[in-house]
Amino acid sequence: MRVPLSWLKEYVEITQSPQELAHTLTMAGLEVETLDYIGADWGDQIITAQITHLEKVPGSDHLSYTRINTGSGEIGVICGAPNIKEGDKVPLALPGARIGDLTIGVARKMGYVSEGMLCSPRELGLGSDHSGIYILDPETPLGVKLADLLSDVVLEFAIKAHRGDLSSIIGIAREVAALTHKPLRLPEPRFNEQGQPAAELVKVTVEDRELCPRYSARVISGVKIGPSPGWMARRLLMAGMRPINLIVDITNYVMLEVGQPLHAFDYDLVREHHIIVRRARDGEEMTTLDGVQRRLRNDMLLITDPQGPTAIAGVMGSAISEVNEGTTRILLESANFKPASIRRTAVALGLRTESSSRFEKGLDPELTIFGANRAAQLMAELAGGQVHPGIVDVYPKPVEARSILFSPAEVEWLTGLKVTSRQVHEALSALEFKVEEVSAAADAAGGEQLLRVTIPTFRGDIEEGADLVEEVLRMIGYDQLPATVPEGPLPEPHGDHWFEREYEIREILIGLGLHEILTYAMTSRQRMLNLLAEVNAQTAQVLLQKPADDGQAGWIIASAQERAGSEDGLASDGREPFDARSLPAVTIANPLSNELECMRLTLLSGLMETLQENSKRNRAGLRLFEIGRRYLPRGAGELPEERRCAGIALCGPAAISWVPELARPADFYDLKGIVETLLERLHIRRYRFSAAQHPTFHPGRCAVLEVGRPGMDGGERFTPVGFLGEVHPLVQQRYDLPHRAYLCELDLETLYAAVPERLNYAPISRHQELTRDLAVVVDQQVPARAVQEAIERHGGELLRTVALFDVYTGTPIPPGKKSLTYTLLYQAQDRTLTDAEANALQERIVAALGEEFGAVLRS
Amino acid sequence: MIEQLDALLAQLDALQERALRELEAINSLAELEDWDVRYLGRHRGELKNFSTLIPKLGKAERPVIGQKINAVKEKLESALETRRQELRDRELREALERERLDVTLPGRALPAGHMHPISRTILEVARIFTRMGFQVVQGPEVETDYYNFQALNIPVDHPARDMQDTFWVVPGEILLRTQTSPMQIRVMQATRPPVRVIVPGKVFRHEAIDASHEAMFHQIEGLLVDERCTMADLKGSLARFAREMFGEDRRVRFRGSYFPFTEPSAEVDIDCILCKGSGCRLCKYSGWLEILGSGMVHPRVLREVGYDPRKYRGYAFGMGVERIAMLKYAIGEIRLFSGNDLRFLRQF
Ligand SMILES: [Zn+2]
Repeated sequence: MRVPLSWLKEYVEITQSPQELAHTLTMAGLEVETLDYIGADWGDQIITAQITHLEKVPGSDHLSYTRINTGSGEIGVICGAPNIKEGDKVPLALPGARIGDLTIGVARKMGYVSEGMLCSPRELGLGSDHSGIYILDPETPLGVKLADLLSDVVLEFAIKAHRGDLSSIIGIAREVAALTHKPLRLPEPRFNEQGQPAAELVKVTVEDRELCPRYSARVISGVKIGPSPGWMARRLLMAGMRPINLIVDITNYVMLEVGQPLHAFDYDLVREHHIIVRRARDGEEMTTLDGVQRRLRNDMLLITDPQGPTAIAGVMGSAISEVNEGTTRILLESANFKPASIRRTAVALGLRTESSSRFEKGLDPELTIFGANRAAQLMAELAGGQVHPGIVDVYPKPVEARSILFSPAEVEWLTGLKVTSRQVHEALSALEFKVEEVSAAADAAGGEQLLRVTIPTFRGDIEEGADLVEEVLRMIGYDQLPATVPEGPLPEPHGDHWFEREYEIREILIGLGLHEILTYAMTSRQRMLNLLAEVNAQTAQVLLQKPADDGQAGWIIASAQERAGSEDGLASDGREPFDARSLPAVTIANPLSNELECMRLTLLSGLMETLQENSKRNRAGLRLFEIGRRYLPRGAGELPEERRCAGIALCGPAAISWVPELARPADFYDLKGIVETLLERLHIRRYRFSAAQHPTFHPGRCAVLEVGRPGMDGGERFTPVGFLGEVHPLVQQRYDLPHRAYLCELDLETLYAAVPERLNYAPISRHQELTRDLAVVVDQQVPARAVQEAIERHGGELLRTVALFDVYTGTPIPPGKKSLTYTLLYQAQDRTLTDAEANALQERIVAALGEEFGAVLRS
Repeated sequence: MIEQLDALLAQLDALQERALRELEAINSLAELEDWDVRYLGRHRGELKNFSTLIPKLGKAERPVIGQKINAVKEKLESALETRRQELRDRELREALERERLDVTLPGRALPAGHMHPISRTILEVARIFTRMGFQVVQGPEVETDYYNFQALNIPVDHPARDMQDTFWVVPGEILLRTQTSPMQIRVMQATRPPVRVIVPGKVFRHEAIDASHEAMFHQIEGLLVDERCTMADLKGSLARFAREMFGEDRRVRFRGSYFPFTEPSAEVDIDCILCKGSGCRLCKYSGWLEILGSGMVHPRVLREVGYDPRKYRGYAFGMGVERIAMLKYAIGEIRLFSGNDLRFLRQF
């Protein structure tokens, strides 16, 4: 809402500077977004002038050569605008003037000398109109600095959604008056009524009284259509509207001034002179003034005549009965429409207008008469119109001013600000609330003084005490609020530890040299399918899988389609070409782009894409992680399951370094080491890594991590937490990375279920420990974990720790075999072990390894 | 006999002189050991050879020669010891010199990771409010229209919905939350007062992405409800937050505003961290920076969750984490946060 200061001053005396006024209003909740100083940059070189002669420039289809009277002489100017004619008074920028970034000079064009420039409203900073030269009032003196005539300050407000009453100059003036303790001067529309009464000229039928609480109409005849006077055109321009013709301009002017949107129909084009306000029929169509054919719905309100729609109520008219050059009689509509309906209609049609944005915030039905009368007055005064007696006013249920009982003590109760009853009284009265002291109720409320506050009908936003508290606070000033500390009791702990847990994971991974990234939760199905070496219905299931709940072993598929066993779900034949759209995901109905069309099912695509982005400019390797959610779809109409996850990505060396170990590109064991350290830091002791197949990963370099939990039968159940591995070469290709990438995604909810609730200290044995090394040769295929588990099993309680410290292949180890060397530490809690005992255990282990894996001792 | 004695003494003197001269020329511990054997060796040492002569001497000469031999021996032993120490010192010095490192070479550091500035800012804000007795909760990012709008006094077809352009999953029903405020409702529905929570999390707005707009960003919601709290408490709490977050001398300013779920509502500004209020580009020459929106929980919202607004009062606030981080770290572009450029991330 743009409010020219000169216009505002018509209704309230303003003694503050524009900045002070803006501050006062901003503090009271009417935020002034900008102060626009019109004319501040015009300088002395932009003056008023008159076109004395105009000729077409030969050889040009649009240029004219004009002779211009500057008040003190005559110059020639070339101009391309279509709207000028001899006699027009215009703003002239002389050589040296600055228009935006352009400095005006003397130019030679097509054989003419041009000694200046005629300016459009936009070039002067007067709104956005650039369709032609700004034509000044015929009374304008010549050779005067434009700044002396037209400079102004425009305050631009962001009007809040609940204050329809502020979408007008008078509405703002009312606030200024209240805040600065000045009287509000409202215009009083006065005009003569004559001729046939309006009621005989027009019939109004409101079929839907809920959507149209009031419809007021006036008839004005004998109007002359022409341009608006300069002062009105200028105000419209500064307020951001384009002058069109006098009648339309008057309706716009009154809308800006009073806040009541108006519509002027050509009375003679309204068929049967009968206005019918009704809902559209489903599928009904009409072409709005902007030339767009609109398909309507039954929840939209129309203004029609007996032959069809002529306007979408409160939004936009049509050409059918629009005011035109030949119009002489006006049917003036001043109506009130239900805000929600107007908003729904405007949103559905994608058509937001000055009118609809006012109606949807809620307007006072009492305003229609004032608006109609003000417009009638201006049509009489400026367009020579004759106002017919009376208003056709369909207003079945007049609004009643509501009143509420309000205790001044509520202000302190809610804000801590001590106020007197008198202050409350004054604050509310200034805003045109009617305040009466209620003595009878005083006893009932225990001696508390009560006020009966009657709410002006234009303040539909005020409903209860808290609203009045805000009004009082706005008037007294938010800066008067004291600052205190809450003294109430603290709540019980809520027991949700996820915030702390996520930061625990963050700190651990950061400590391991990983950088945290934060990617969009929105992605596309195609971006996620890029993670699969081969895309088909089978492989795509990994995007939907999650650890089984309640410590059950294995993965389950989270998609609703899958659970329902739907045929077009993912369960179809794996060899069919896969349609990305069949991947179940939380789909965004109105995405910003195809790249952001759904919610992610995995963190891995964001990690890979971030590796790709950074690898272009990073010679050192990349070590990244993200903590975020996967959004797994559930049944239709249900919120998705949001699973907390951590994703890790490594690619290339840890650092550019002269130290070979640090300069070595990351490999599988770097990633696994990170995961193992994470487990150690979380005190998770029961877990296992097993070789696994996953369509994102190298078939021989992928593991699944499972954590153990005690099962019902006293045994241990292993639940999967996530996969880790080297990215499959076919996937790697798609991201154009300089090194092999390693990825891991862990389900934090499953992981944390395995964190021990408390830690129990185990006493340190004081007895001597015995160390034995053990080197065995086994087949290459035997997993190290199996050997280690066998050692642990057969070593029993006395075997305290087993650590692998060498893995060797090559001579003298036979081909196809590998040597594993462990160091074993034996110790008893209650006595000193003898060598014989340790040796016996060692022999038992060797024997068992021989039996289970065909292991032989390395000589 | 006298001549023989004198000759022996002279030979011993000569021996001593020769030995000492040789000793001085010795440069290694190995040569030193050879010298030791040659002169002081218990079996073939030259001095030993003199000792073997003693029995052949007369009674009177024996002690003279004996003393002389001892004197020479002591002299040589002490010289040997001195020389040995000198050589040992020198060898250690040389060994240490050989092991000299270029201490200016970079260390074998383990790579250091960095926390994303958004996580870091959330943590900092959370710590400030947990010191004031707030607990941290999170909530669903995909929400229902009821929690995101209706329960917060933003009915269907309310123009306040324009303030938050929405990504819809099921239009009119399920959406990506546009604010963290839905957790106000979820928390109040699940508990009875007193309530003190803050809610950090992702929010989504259907906005074209540019230097100052993001389609996904982060908010922190605060909610306090009990039987005592006032708007003055809100001001006091936020003033304390501003001081802890932006510096001890920060001032806060409340001004009127509108949010559908608070009444009265207030916009909260701090005096500009750059110009301290005198006006600069950051604060658009106003001297103030807007940091968050706040207010007293609207009675309609309290009634919606079954709290009696005559008994309970509450305050709520919501801040944009990106906004806070941009002010705190002097970051000029919001897109940097989701850009994940390591050159950016490494600075935090
Ligand atoms: Zn500043």
